[in-house]
Amino acid sequence: MNRTEQNPRESLKNVAFDKLGAGAATFLASDFEILETHSAEAEVELLPIALALEKYDWLEPLLFSLVPADKDEDVKEVAASERKLGYFIRVRAGAKVALPVYTCYMINSDAFTQCTHNIVIAEENSELHLVSGCTSNAHVTSGRHLGVTEYFVREGATVTSTMIHSWGREVEVYPRSAAHVGKNARFVSNYVALSSVRKLQMYPSARIEAGGLGEFYSVIYAPKGSFFDVGSAAELEGEGASAEIISRVVSDGGKVITRGRISGNRPGGRGSMACNGLLLNPEGSIHAIPELIGNDPKLELSHEASVGMISKEELAYLMASGIEEERATSLIIEGFLDLKVPSLPEALQQQIDAIVKKTKSFETI
Amino acid sequence: MNDTVLEVAGLHVSVGDKTIINGVDLTVRRGEVHVLFGPNGSGKSTLLAAIMRLPGYEQSGGSVTINGDSTEGLTTDAIARLGVGMSFQHPPAIRGVTLKRFLESINCCDDLGAAVERLHMEAFLERELNVGFSGGELKRAEILKLYAQNPEMLLIDEPESGVDIENIAVIARAINAMLQQEQPMKLRKQSALIITHTGHILNYIDADVGHVFMDGKIVCSGNPQKIMDDIKRLGFAGCTECLKAQKETP
Repeated sequence: MNRTEQNPRESLKNVAFDKLGAGAATFLASDFEILETHSAEAEVELLPIALALEKYDWLEPLLFSLVPADKDEDVKEVAASERKLGYFIRVRAGAKVALPVYTCYMINSDAFTQCTHNIVIAEENSELHLVSGCTSNAHVTSGRHLGVTEYFVREGATVTSTMIHSWGREVEVYPRSAAHVGKNARFVSNYVALSSVRKLQMYPSARIEAGGLGEFYSVIYAPKGSFFDVGSAAELEGEGASAEIISRVVSDGGKVITRGRISGNRPGGRGSMACNGLLLNPEGSIHAIPELIGNDPKLELSHEASVGMISKEELAYLMASGIEEERATSLIIEGFLDLKVPSLPEALQQQIDAIVKKTKSFETI
Repeated sequence: MNDTVLEVAGLHVSVGDKTIINGVDLTVRRGEVHVLFGPNGSGKSTLLAAIMRLPGYEQSGGSVTINGDSTEGLTTDAIARLGVGMSFQHPPAIRGVTLKRFLESINCCDDLGAAVERLHMEAFLERELNVGFSGGELKRAEILKLYAQNPEMLLIDEPESGVDIENIAVIARAINAMLQQEQPMKLRKQSALIITHTGHILNYIDADVGHVFMDGKIVCSGNPQKIMDDIKRLGFAGCTECLKAQKETP
């Protein structure tokens, strides 16, 4: 059996997508093949992007309206791709969809480049919770994933988007995401990568209108041989717009650049950023680059950043209760990476925790 | 049978270039509760940290044994597993680790339900360890940790500092229960060395031996209540005067 003949559904286990609870809709794709597109709720429309483009004339102008087609070489490659792989998700106005929508991209063939383009639309006053797991078949020794995702969060709507990556050590990943957050709307981006990847670069951004809120959380464990260049950017466009960027990074030999940028243009905007890094291994590095740009005196912008070793005081405290050093270290690392997202529904957070547990590549207690 | 649980002999401890402990001798037998009085900065907390061999505290002389086993060359966790538990005066906050997870990791006690109830910690089990805890909550969590650990030798650093009267009573009742203070000493399984600056904890706990600790040494030992009364009356300056008078007396 050659590599492409492996059952791609086996790869779902890497991100625990074989044991998911009930969802509002599901989208699964392997290489360029869509394995499943299913919506269980009438308020959630989920279609392959190619089909949606045929169905809706108004959709075409939205493509590359938030992520410019010439943004960089990777986006250009997605724009030039002849195979239109991706999903279109729309939640009807006023619909509060409590169950998550699951999406999963897999690379199943060796040396494969997977280009995807996704559009997510949350209409006025709707609510959507998206959980995306991305992985590769265990037999894949190299591959690239280039993914463009554009989120349109209309006035008063809420979108949470949790992305959990478990790609494999030889895969390169270049997600390119952007959101337009309407008046009094909320967009929450939650990114988790706790296993190896050769190279990952992402910098999701949000343009936030009056009274809107953007929250970006990222949790990364970088083992030896991995390179992460990750960050988030929020542009506070309207009055009273706010943003929060929180990242927790552990480097165990991997190289990590963690970026954050909040720019404010109108009065009443608020933004805060916290980039914290733990270095476990002298071969690794963490470069934190927080940026704040204020263009109005009535803005409140702040940041904190730290990069360092595990606190000796915390370690000694745990050991003083009889916990061995290795276990105490694991406990501190697990705690550091256990970043809770307050705006996620509790049941969803529990489910995400279960998926995250499955994707961990480092030793746990 | 040797009843000595903790034996400290000629202990010298330095922090950086500075010597803090200047030759301490102390013997705690099974079931005994010792109280260490002393002014701020006298080295009381350093003594406990040195017994646990916490990082930064260099033992430059003397010895410490637990149930006859020397702690020389042992790490902090190994000393704890010899049967020593320490309640910290200022425990660190550890984000992401819940109190429940911490207690499970210590894992020496099957059922902590009664202790949790006794210390009113039900609502804190899912909270991050010591994050945002008040003074009283910190101390209650520390005593709950000792219940989980169930050590033979308890080192308790300033259990009443930063704690309101109501919480002191709760903490003291929990310590008394752990120390089986209602039992005759010979039947008690645990011993304690309690540091106190104010002595207020003695209103709740019956101690067997009191010590005054000044300038890195135990300068006086005796009836704890009597020592407390003298300190209340004369302050630690009275101790200094007393020592001076003893030296001058031929």
